[in-house]
Amino acid sequence: MRREGSAFQGLGTVVLKELSDHLTSMRIIVIELLIVLVAFASLYGATERLRDTTQEDPFLLLKLFTVDRAPLPSFIGILGFLIPIVAIGLGFDAINSEYNRRTMSRILAQPIYRDALLLGKFLAGLATLGVMLLCLWLIVIGYGLFALGVPPGTEEILRSLIFLGIALAYCGVWLALAIFLSIVFRSAATAALVALGVWLFFTLIWPMLAQFLAQLIAPPDLAYLLRGLPSPDTVEWQQILARFSPNQLFGECVLALLSPTTRSLGPIYVEQLQGAVMGAGLPLGQSLLIAWPQMVGLVAGSIVMFVASYIVFQRQEVRA
Amino acid sequence: MRARFLAIVPALAFASVAIAAERPDVKGLFLLADYPAISVQPGTTTNVSLKLQNIGLAPERYQLSVSGVPAGWTATLLGGGQPVAAAMPATDASVSLDLRLDIPADASAAAAQTLTINAQGQGSNVSLPVAVTLAKELPAKLKVDTALPALRGTSKSSFEYQLTIKNDAGRNLLVSFAATAPRNFETSFTEAYGTQELSSVSIEAGKSKDVKLKVRPPSTVDAGSFPVSVTVSAEGATAKTDVSLDIVGQPRLSVSGRDGLVSARAEAGKQASVPVLISNTGSAPADAIELSASSPTGWKVEFNPKIVDKLEPNKDVEVTALITPTEKSLAGDYMSTLRASSRGETASTQFRVTVTTSTLWGIAGAGIIGVALLLMVGAVARFGRR
Repeated sequence: MRREGSAFQGLGTVVLKELSDHLTSMRIIVIELLIVLVAFASLYGATERLRDTTQEDPFLLLKLFTVDRAPLPSFIGILGFLIPIVAIGLGFDAINSEYNRRTMSRILAQPIYRDALLLGKFLAGLATLGVMLLCLWLIVIGYGLFALGVPPGTEEILRSLIFLGIALAYCGVWLALAIFLSIVFRSAATAALVALGVWLFFTLIWPMLAQFLAQLIAPPDLAYLLRGLPSPDTVEWQQILARFSPNQLFGECVLALLSPTTRSLGPIYVEQLQGAVMGAGLPLGQSLLIAWPQMVGLVAGSIVMFVASYIVFQRQEVRA
Repeated sequence: MRARFLAIVPALAFASVAIAAERPDVKGLFLLADYPAISVQPGTTTNVSLKLQNIGLAPERYQLSVSGVPAGWTATLLGGGQPVAAAMPATDASVSLDLRLDIPADASAAAAQTLTINAQGQGSNVSLPVAVTLAKELPAKLKVDTALPALRGTSKSSFEYQLTIKNDAGRNLLVSFAATAPRNFETSFTEAYGTQELSSVSIEAGKSKDVKLKVRPPSTVDAGSFPVSVTVSAEGATAKTDVSLDIVGQPRLSVSGRDGLVSARAEAGKQASVPVLISNTGSAPADAIELSASSPTGWKVEFNPKIVDKLEPNKDVEVTALITPTEKSLAGDYMSTLRASSRGETASTQFRVTVTTSTLWGIAGAGIIGVALLLMVGAVARFGRR
């Protein structure tokens, strides 16, 4: 039977309900408190270091995001680490909890299609994460004004806003993955564990594995080894492999956007730097161009992940 | 000290003995003049130094007078700077006198006039005839000479002329100098081996002195020869000499961007044309200006035209630099030095080239997202049935 009307009928209802559930649930409140706490700690470390080593910098505010002080990671380091956890926390029981509470058939008895249900859950999760990120962003800007007393420039604001968008896309990838797993596994605990496993794999194991695989695919050139240099082929392969991890993509995007002096995200040859004016920032457009493939990767990755969960969900028997 | 003093004393004693021995046995009153026959120019005033010498006579009052003064001439006897009528030299002493002659400009240049100066005492009486010839041209009392009257240099160099000023007048003179140079030329007189600027110098009779004339041309002067005349003057006497500056022109190049802008934008792997202004601020035309550039490895920089045939002074010419960064250059700012050289004269300027990269891959990225969205639409169309 072909469906009638819009596939997204009832989407608004689902989004609003899920959003209110998320924002009032104890789980999210605890996670957000944790993030705000760590964010404050890293911001404090960053401002202390910026004050110690004051130098003229046209992008002082952006340094708040990237500078770290020894025991604490930088703000973006914390985000890169915690965003997947929050996203997994939001999505790992999105679908299977409905089955477990036996509310799925009740919801679908309403004039709400599965399409709308899945998209609604995804969008609500994304909106929750968006609110969280926006708050964090405001905290950073506000704290920067308060602690450094330097008003942010237009380009700084633009760059940090684009960074916000990238962080949201990064959230999207992990949220889509978590929702996908919550569809595949009926048990919420299994879904959560598998999601965390994937996260651990990409955060800790994949970078090492990428290096190993790169050396297998393109063995280091003896000519470069003797001079103590990495051979370009190996480095290139390692980077290609490492970029399968969303963490790597996020890290590279952030580097290009928040450190305007970044000229390239790949290996740089010495002759490419001859005559270059060091320390000169790139215009925003060029920084975007450098990070563009990574940004596309994150956005397309989350869409593809969502489509995969959509297909699996649509083919599932829901009347059990 | 003592030994030296002892050495001098015998010498002095010997000298005085010699004078006493050589002193001729002369006695009487004498009216003396160094030059009792002179030439003067009509319309001038001349002084003749006289001396009333008393040798071995008792002091006496001598009445002074001048006779034989032609009509229209004025002859005044001066002593100690003022007109005097009598003199009284002590025994074995002399009194200096000056005969001032004011000769009218319309005095006829006839034969020599003889003026007689008389000193009339009681019993003794001396007179001195002074012959005055009227002359149109007088031998110079001052002379100025330079060994090297023409110097050559660029508009940046300083021209120094050694001038020798000779005082041929019979007495010490305070000589002042002046130089007449073309407009905006700076002239100054200094001591021959010194830096102090002078406007006048005193020269003893018969002696000469070296002074240095320094001429600094304005830096914008064109090539050519410029005359400078030097006039030295003292008490009515003047002397003149001409020196000349031979200024050789020199081209001076400078490279800049249009409107002073020395930055450019170029896309990696694509040719960008940058207007470059080459100007000649020197004083001679620059020939065959060659243009070159040193830029990062792999960059291609060409000029259109490659060679500027001739550039007149104070003119500029615009050429186009065609800058092509390599395909592989990274986005960002690079320094590239553009150079113009013409026979030893060279100028260069650093241009800051901002390299941008192609946005082609950006479009490809948007395409990938589009494909992902299409996939979603396809999935909705295929599976959206429940």
